[in-house]
Amino acid sequence: MRSDDAVISVHDLGKSYRLFKHPGDRVKEFLCLGLKQYHRESVALEGVSFEIKRGETVGIVGHNGAGKSTLLQLVCGVLKPTRGSVWVHGRISALLELGTGFNADFTGRENVFFQGAVIGFSQNEMQKRFDEIATFADIGDYIDQPVRTYSSGMFLRLAFAVAVHVDPEILVVDEALSTGDAAFQDKCFRRMEVIRNGGCTILFVSHAVGQIARFCKRALLLDHGRLVFDGPVSRTLSLYVNNAYGVKQNEPDSSNFSQSDSADGLVRRPYYNDAEIRLGDRAATIWDARLIQGGVENPSFFVPGKRTRLLLNVRFHVAVDRPVYEFSLKTARGAMLFGTNTSELGTSEKAQEKGSDVTVCFDFDPYLDAGEYAISVGISGLAPTGSVTHDRRYDSIHFHVAQPLASGGRLAINAEFHKVVDVAQLPTTELVKL
Amino acid sequence: MHWYLLCQLIKRDVLLRYRGAMFGVLWVLLTPLIMLSIMAIVFGEVFQTRWTQQQDGVPFWLVLYSGLIAFNVFGDAVSRAPTAVRSYPNFVKKMIFPVAILPLVPLGSALIHAAFNLAILLLALAWTGHLHFQAALYPIMLIPLLLGTVGLSWFIAAWGVFIKDMTQIVPPFVQILMFVSPVLYPATAAPASLLPLYRYNPLGAVVEACRSAIFGQPIDWRAWIAALLCGVVTAALGWLFFRRSREEFADAL
Repeated sequence: MRSDDAVISVHDLGKSYRLFKHPGDRVKEFLCLGLKQYHRESVALEGVSFEIKRGETVGIVGHNGAGKSTLLQLVCGVLKPTRGSVWVHGRISALLELGTGFNADFTGRENVFFQGAVIGFSQNEMQKRFDEIATFADIGDYIDQPVRTYSSGMFLRLAFAVAVHVDPEILVVDEALSTGDAAFQDKCFRRMEVIRNGGCTILFVSHAVGQIARFCKRALLLDHGRLVFDGPVSRTLSLYVNNAYGVKQNEPDSSNFSQSDSADGLVRRPYYNDAEIRLGDRAATIWDARLIQGGVENPSFFVPGKRTRLLLNVRFHVAVDRPVYEFSLKTARGAMLFGTNTSELGTSEKAQEKGSDVTVCFDFDPYLDAGEYAISVGISGLAPTGSVTHDRRYDSIHFHVAQPLASGGRLAINAEFHKVVDVAQLPTTELVKL
Repeated sequence: MHWYLLCQLIKRDVLLRYRGAMFGVLWVLLTPLIMLSIMAIVFGEVFQTRWTQQQDGVPFWLVLYSGLIAFNVFGDAVSRAPTAVRSYPNFVKKMIFPVAILPLVPLGSALIHAAFNLAILLLALAWTGHLHFQAALYPIMLIPLLLGTVGLSWFIAAWGVFIKDMTQIVPPFVQILMFVSPVLYPATAAPASLLPLYRYNPLGAVVEACRSAIFGQPIDWRAWIAALLCGVVTAALGWLFFRRSREEFADAL
């Protein structure tokens, strides 16, 4: 039943907690050998089955209390299942909670070695890894200070550094990354990519949909302790997001989907990114998008700083009172560079009737360094209850920027160099006036 | 087995007790030194007590101290057992961790303290000219006590997770055990009718054996072997109980 390359196999897994009203009740129940019940059962997880293969990266999403953490704890063997079975093959490194097992009175260095001992590494084996860990954590001299003096960010850095440098075969991360700053998160993801390419299986829980979308190909959706969906990350996330924001679920009607897919011009474009994440209720859809620079549609390279136009074709399947068009720009690695929408730009777009088809455009100057970038586009509607996502296509367009005049960093800001002999002779007079 | 991890935990436990103190780990030596000096002054000079059966003129305080060291290994470890697992909920719930070694940590740290105590005692014996080569048997004499303590620690630590009251219940019991065992007096001081009880009380048997070892007297091997068997059984039962209840720890903490 279990496939050959599976590293985690979960079958009909269930976990319920015995809740005792009073600590003494536990003693009573123990003493009467289960003949009388003194507890109430609370079900945290029920009938969950899935299998994860070597090298897979799987995200787990769900509301608070959906059973995500319980599931991870069961996989790690920290909790014992009430029903069903968990089979895990390989050494697990787990970040179930930030810096647990760190003793506040010991220094970072001592704690690193202790964590190593917990995982089963000797002093020597840890010594070999220590420099790498310290470099990754990048907390400088604090490594020799007691951990209680650390900020939560430093805590995370060190804990994460240890977890990813002990050659795990399975890495389990629960929510841990949410406290790190963007730069460190980026570093963590790069490191996780490295160990994933080395064959490590990664199980990843996060409330940050973006993180899951960026990092996982497959995701599990849990709801009230049940596994509701297990599949490609885009489908899982759209189910999750739509549930999370209380939008009535448009049942994924297959005929409806194929119809809209055939009408979707974007997927046939050469710059289309088939790893896009598409969310929304599809009450309105973006069915095509084009990039134009200097009168050329979809040039193979974009020139930095030159006016560029993003054309979007949007069809409204229902009437939308206050449509908001959105667009954002990221590096290919996923770092957000810029994002805006018509609401932020201060234009309120006119209401659209059912069946209307509109073309809108954003004009912008891509002052960008040479490299690869991704554009996300979206259409949502402002309702009295809040914003409703109709169609959001994350990273759906890829484009390249050619070498700028001076390069380094992600932005090309048209820097010029002048040797100053006399300030009055500088070409930009504004500077002098200031 | 996770010997290396256990050693690290014990090291942390000992270091943590003295971390931040001005004399630091030096207290491991200072405390027994002060204790023994006080006992020497009080029992040797002020309150001139005699051991009922004088052991070749050995001062009372040396006899008393040699028995106390053995008992304190048991007493310290067992008194701390109720919180041995309970005070590490993170190790139980949030980490992949061999929880079964946690109850062994207080015992390990008690043993380290006992080693320093013993070193000081041996020095004092050499000083007063009572050092006997049979004292080398002392660690071996302790084995039944260690096994029994391991078993009890597992048992008490598991109960301590579920019942907070264990922290209150256990220490007085340890006190009571000290008074009913031949620690502060020789077993022969007990009334004849209670003697067998004293002789085969495993804790008492070990303390007596340790004392005999130190002062080069014949060891009661029958009582010692009975204690050893008792220790093995306690350890096995404690392990079984701990393993069975371990599954519930995460839910209870």
